[in-house]
Amino acid sequence: MQEQFDAIVVGSGISGGWAAKELCDKGLKVLLLERGRDVVHLKDYPTATKDPWQFAHRGTMPPSVLKENPIVAKCYAFGEATEHFFVKDIEHPYIQEKPFDWIRGYQVGGKSLLWARQVQRWSKFDFEAPGRDGYATEWPIGYNDMAPWYSHVEKFAGISGNKDGLENLPDGEFLPPWDMNVLEKHIVAQLKAHYPDRPAVIGRCAHLTQPADIHIQQGRQQCQARSLCERGCPFGGYFSSNASTIPWAQKSGNLTLKTDAVVHSIIYDDKQKKASGVKVVDAKTNQTTEYRARLIFVNAACLNTNLILLNSKSDRFPNGLGNDNGLLGKFICFHNYRGSMSATYDGFNEFVTYGRRPTMIIMPSFRNVRKQEMPFKRGYLVAFSAYRNQGKGYDGIGAELKDSQTQPGSWGVFMMMQGETIPKETNHVRLSPDKKDAWGIPQLITSVGYDENDELIVKDFLEQGKEMLEKAGCKNVYVNDTKQAPGLDIHEMGGVRMGKDPKTSMLNKWNQFHNCPNVFVTDGACMTSTGTQNPSLTFMAITARAANYAADELKKGNL
Amino acid sequence: MNRRELLKMVAAATGGVVIGGEFFLTGCKNPDAGVGTSATFTESDIAFLDEVAETIFPKTATPGAKDAKVGQFMTVMVTDCYEEKDQKAFREGMKTINDACEKMHKHGFMKATPEQRKELLVAADNERKDYQKNKKKEDPNHYFQAFKQLTILGYFTSKEGRQGATRYEPVPGRYEGDVPYKKGDKIVTGLS
Repeated sequence: MQEQFDAIVVGSGISGGWAAKELCDKGLKVLLLERGRDVVHLKDYPTATKDPWQFAHRGTMPPSVLKENPIVAKCYAFGEATEHFFVKDIEHPYIQEKPFDWIRGYQVGGKSLLWARQVQRWSKFDFEAPGRDGYATEWPIGYNDMAPWYSHVEKFAGISGNKDGLENLPDGEFLPPWDMNVLEKHIVAQLKAHYPDRPAVIGRCAHLTQPADIHIQQGRQQCQARSLCERGCPFGGYFSSNASTIPWAQKSGNLTLKTDAVVHSIIYDDKQKKASGVKVVDAKTNQTTEYRARLIFVNAACLNTNLILLNSKSDRFPNGLGNDNGLLGKFICFHNYRGSMSATYDGFNEFVTYGRRPTMIIMPSFRNVRKQEMPFKRGYLVAFSAYRNQGKGYDGIGAELKDSQTQPGSWGVFMMMQGETIPKETNHVRLSPDKKDAWGIPQLITSVGYDENDELIVKDFLEQGKEMLEKAGCKNVYVNDTKQAPGLDIHEMGGVRMGKDPKTSMLNKWNQFHNCPNVFVTDGACMTSTGTQNPSLTFMAITARAANYAADELKKGNL
Repeated sequence: MNRRELLKMVAAATGGVVIGGEFFLTGCKNPDAGVGTSATFTESDIAFLDEVAETIFPKTATPGAKDAKVGQFMTVMVTDCYEEKDQKAFREGMKTINDACEKMHKHGFMKATPEQRKELLVAADNERKDYQKNKKKEDPNHYFQAFKQLTILGYFTSKEGRQGATRYEPVPGRYEGDVPYKKGDKIVTGLS
């Protein structure tokens, strides 16, 4: 059986949803393929409004599930309230040559239901750094190419933030910012006094602090500050494919959504010298179907995009689609989350907070920004927040302890890092030569690890973070290196990187394969370097940019 | 404050890790335990645990641990989420409490008056505090640590405790970072 579409989008997560929306808005007939089940906004959020006592273990997971799923069990967001949105390890095995915690969400919306929703623009420094410092191939695009597309997605998704005027953290199209609390304001002011080059600002996040007309058109409402986002939001208060791009694309009448569609490979037509469609295995029946289209967007999430492309073998591309230079699956990178610290603060006891703010205070990278100046390459973003503890300690028992526990205690501070990692050819994924999954697709081997640069960055953050908190008047700073494996950051990137030169990169400046121009990759796999920012905003903007280009090229007959 | 923060703070402030280890923070972790059953505990065990919890968190102007069915909660968590050695330590802890009561008050814990129970558990808690302060990292926790942690966790995640002893606001609607605090105001809690 063959069906014909203008475009096929593989994957319905945060970038695939954008590809579908933009292509549908351009009038293309789009087939959106999702390997998991449908998750309909509002209807399929079974735990969204449950009280803690409505869960058998008050939110913790039954041991039988954890025994079988030691990887996903490590994820901070995995629990009794959210487990239905996570891939269970046992159902989707892969091979870790080095420890790599691969966190996945196989359903319509993918991990856009589960993401941490923090969105910072890259600055020109981030795009220019690989070329400037020579640690990776040069980006084929710069900040000016991206700025209008950042604006485009920010307006539609709904981003709260403050216009801070920082060169290293460009402002965007913002809804009103969240408040800093009284201790955070104090710390930010102290940091400003002690470190003029380290401004800290309220985080930018994909939450509707004040819905605009475009959000009301999507049927979304103001964020209610519940901070239970990973359950799915009954208000549509945060951006997800489910709440936003997919229903929008469906309203256009141009979208066909097919679930339970596991993409096996991209089909390459040797005569036409371009891709002609995709081969799909039905997740339930294992039946194979081929779908045809003139344009294909691969947005399966970084590592699965790599897997599909590596498995797309043809006479022309025996080592995977577009893989003439042998670099497909290489230069996998991620974010270094290992360092964190906590501290206490004496004072401000006359203030408490109300509600749950879905963001933190962020300090953009202050290392190697304008030139290489440290013994390590690149830097890290710092995020922190202050909160009031519950109760005044846990000594004693009886009515005094109970009453104390119903009242606020002292203030605490939590601080964490998000470090850039250096893309390396040795950090790679490849297909298992013999092991296959339940759908006959080769399993992925991950070979991704830390290097000396990562160790130096962790060390620098732990020293600098402690010093900053102490200068701000905090006490009892306790620093921690979790040594968590790569992957648990859920910011995996690369493998199909963009670049200027077909010899050293896979994709051109429009996210188009250098040598197979009707296939586009616009999820994390396309990333040339990682920056220190949470990456989803850049994935969304780069997708919208590429989709508009692709639709125009298609209309011109160039694809 | 979310559940994880609550757990972390319970752990931090009682001077040790939460029993069950780090994984208690993200989920049950005992692969060999039964699921969703408290079969190893009897009704009288639950009644005993209710009284221990009630002594730690008694009914006042706000509900007590017994109102919040903390005894039942403890048995579910110990059965489903504790490793075998911690389950054993918990069972032994129940016996230790009862034996200590016999020694101090010449009868078992269930026959003791609320005042006698409090005197006994204040002593146990003081012993816990000293032990936790001086213990080596690899030493097991004091037995009373688990009773206290589970009481606090179970109480504040129960309907009675959450609604009765805190200002329960499942849909806050906004965030304010500098709300004036009046002494005696209850903490605000949400859904998780």
